[in-house]
Amino acid sequence: MEEIVRRSILLVSVADQEAIASCWRHGADAVVLDLGDEVPETAKPQARAQVREATSTARRGGAEVFVRINRELAHADLEASAWPGLTGIALPSPQVAADVRDAAEILAAMEQQHGIPVGSLQLFLLLGTAKGVWNVRELIYASPRVTSVALDGTQLCRTLGVLPRADFDPFPYAAGRLVIECTAARVQPVGISHPVSLVPRLLSAEEIHGLAERGRNMGFKGAICPHPSWVEPCNRAFTPTLEQVEFYREVRRLFGEGVARGSASVPMNGRMLDVPVDERAKKMITLWERCQRRDGEKATALQSHSG
Amino acid sequence: MGKRRVVRSGLMMPINSKRFVAASWTRNADSLDYDLEDSVPQAQKAYARSIVRETLPIAKLGGARVSVRINCATPEPDLEASVWPPLEMISHTKTESPDQIRHIDALITRLERQRGVRPGAVEINAMIETAQGIAHCYEIAASSPRIRHFSGGGGYDMSLDLGVEMFVGFDQFFYGKGECELAARALGLEPGISVFMPDVSGSVMDSEATYARAVANRKAGGRSGGGLHPNVVEPQNRGLTPPPEEVEEARQVLAFFRELDATGGAQGALDGKTVDRYEAARAEELLEWAAACAEKDSYKARMREQTLAHQKSEQSNPQAP
Repeated sequence: MEEIVRRSILLVSVADQEAIASCWRHGADAVVLDLGDEVPETAKPQARAQVREATSTARRGGAEVFVRINRELAHADLEASAWPGLTGIALPSPQVAADVRDAAEILAAMEQQHGIPVGSLQLFLLLGTAKGVWNVRELIYASPRVTSVALDGTQLCRTLGVLPRADFDPFPYAAGRLVIECTAARVQPVGISHPVSLVPRLLSAEEIHGLAERGRNMGFKGAICPHPSWVEPCNRAFTPTLEQVEFYREVRRLFGEGVARGSASVPMNGRMLDVPVDERAKKMITLWERCQRRDGEKATALQSHSG
Repeated sequence: MGKRRVVRSGLMMPINSKRFVAASWTRNADSLDYDLEDSVPQAQKAYARSIVRETLPIAKLGGARVSVRINCATPEPDLEASVWPPLEMISHTKTESPDQIRHIDALITRLERQRGVRPGAVEINAMIETAQGIAHCYEIAASSPRIRHFSGGGGYDMSLDLGVEMFVGFDQFFYGKGECELAARALGLEPGISVFMPDVSGSVMDSEATYARAVANRKAGGRSGGGLHPNVVEPQNRGLTPPPEEVEEARQVLAFFRELDATGGAQGALDGKTVDRYEAARAEELLEWAAACAEKDSYKARMREQTLAHQKSEQSNPQAP
């Protein structure tokens, strides 16, 4: 399966009508429409009534659309959200495989009832408890619908009673575990670096870019954006830069020459190029091409709706 | 076993590179690692296999431990080609499951029997270079008694699998390295220790940085190293060998504790530092390690001299058989 390009995942409350009306204009690869924590209990029925409409609004810019549901209200939330055009649902704080299987079962039923291709709705897991982090492998393998898993640092702080601090990252092990298990299972690890992983804040685009880039070098492939201003720097951080692409092309050229001479161990400025270095170059160039393609799709969608 | 394995430095090279291989025994590396894997182009694999048997003895000319790094996709032909005396270790790349190791263990056992290699002499180095490998590192480390040293979770293959850059100024591999070290220690295997030190150049021949890293690793309990360039052999040998002042200090600590112990004490102070049985055990290990290093160094020197003398006599007497 080709790796998905899901660099920026914009979170928008369904109850925030202004935000919903403009959520398709920010260039996000994916939009998560929230029926969960950001929607007050009393506003939930109305939000449910609006979610189908919000889904088609969110799609105008070519974004994939997920709905974050309330796990305890899964049935009602899914009844309202699972319609053609939805990419999948974001499942908050699953802890054991049964949590994932339960959600997958409801999705299967909705696909039948609402005329959605069977097996197409995806699951985006948001890990917010220690138990979920510990069980991440069984959560991923609980359903083939799982395509992305995010570390929800804010929620982890709440459930573990950790006071979020700017000078100290309490979750390097959790992030490492999530990245390794997701990569091993070939699903997408989602996250950003401390400190905004704990307390989302408005920072300059360059600051967000730096933290997202650090996240990429921890092994994350995309980040959840609590604010539209995060989208552009996240898209940028999770896309190889032109300089990198040029560097990787040079690596491939030198290595190719070496192989033609009969050596797969080629020096380049004190570094040694061998098969994994070349493979990595190839992978990064392919990723860059896929990102270009995704950006093209979004630009086309945006244009057709901005006329 | 009793005797402690000393592999402070290693030199990995493509086995099909005649120039590197011919000079390899003069480099004073504790281990020489001949590669059949990623540094050998696909078109040369068959040729590379055909020269393993005649290459292995070259390592012994300088007293190095000799190993072959094989391809995880072709273990059968690679092992057929490699398990000959004096082979001491097989490195299995990109290990992802214990079954891969059990499979090569069985093959090695058969080849040892057929080819007069002492049973169990060939160690397995199960290299962990992918997320899948880390996810199964404990079962892998436990999969064969031929595994005596276990480490992994970093390096170029890992960066490829995770899609991260290599030299980023923080330890992007700490989880994987930690899992592997923990598995090694839980199973009583020798762990690989690589203390994180920022590296922006990625140079494989920076001897000063290598020395600093080797010292830091030794202080964190590390005893082994490896490398790709002759420049990093000496700094690793030096950095992983306890310097004379530390050896002397360890002697004093041990003598002090033995006296304390003999008089019924459990804890005392020497030059303002607490000495107890943990400190004494540490000192003892350091002395043991220093002695093993000295022994390895003199063994290598002896082998090199022998080889040089032999070559000289052959030159002056070309008729000799």
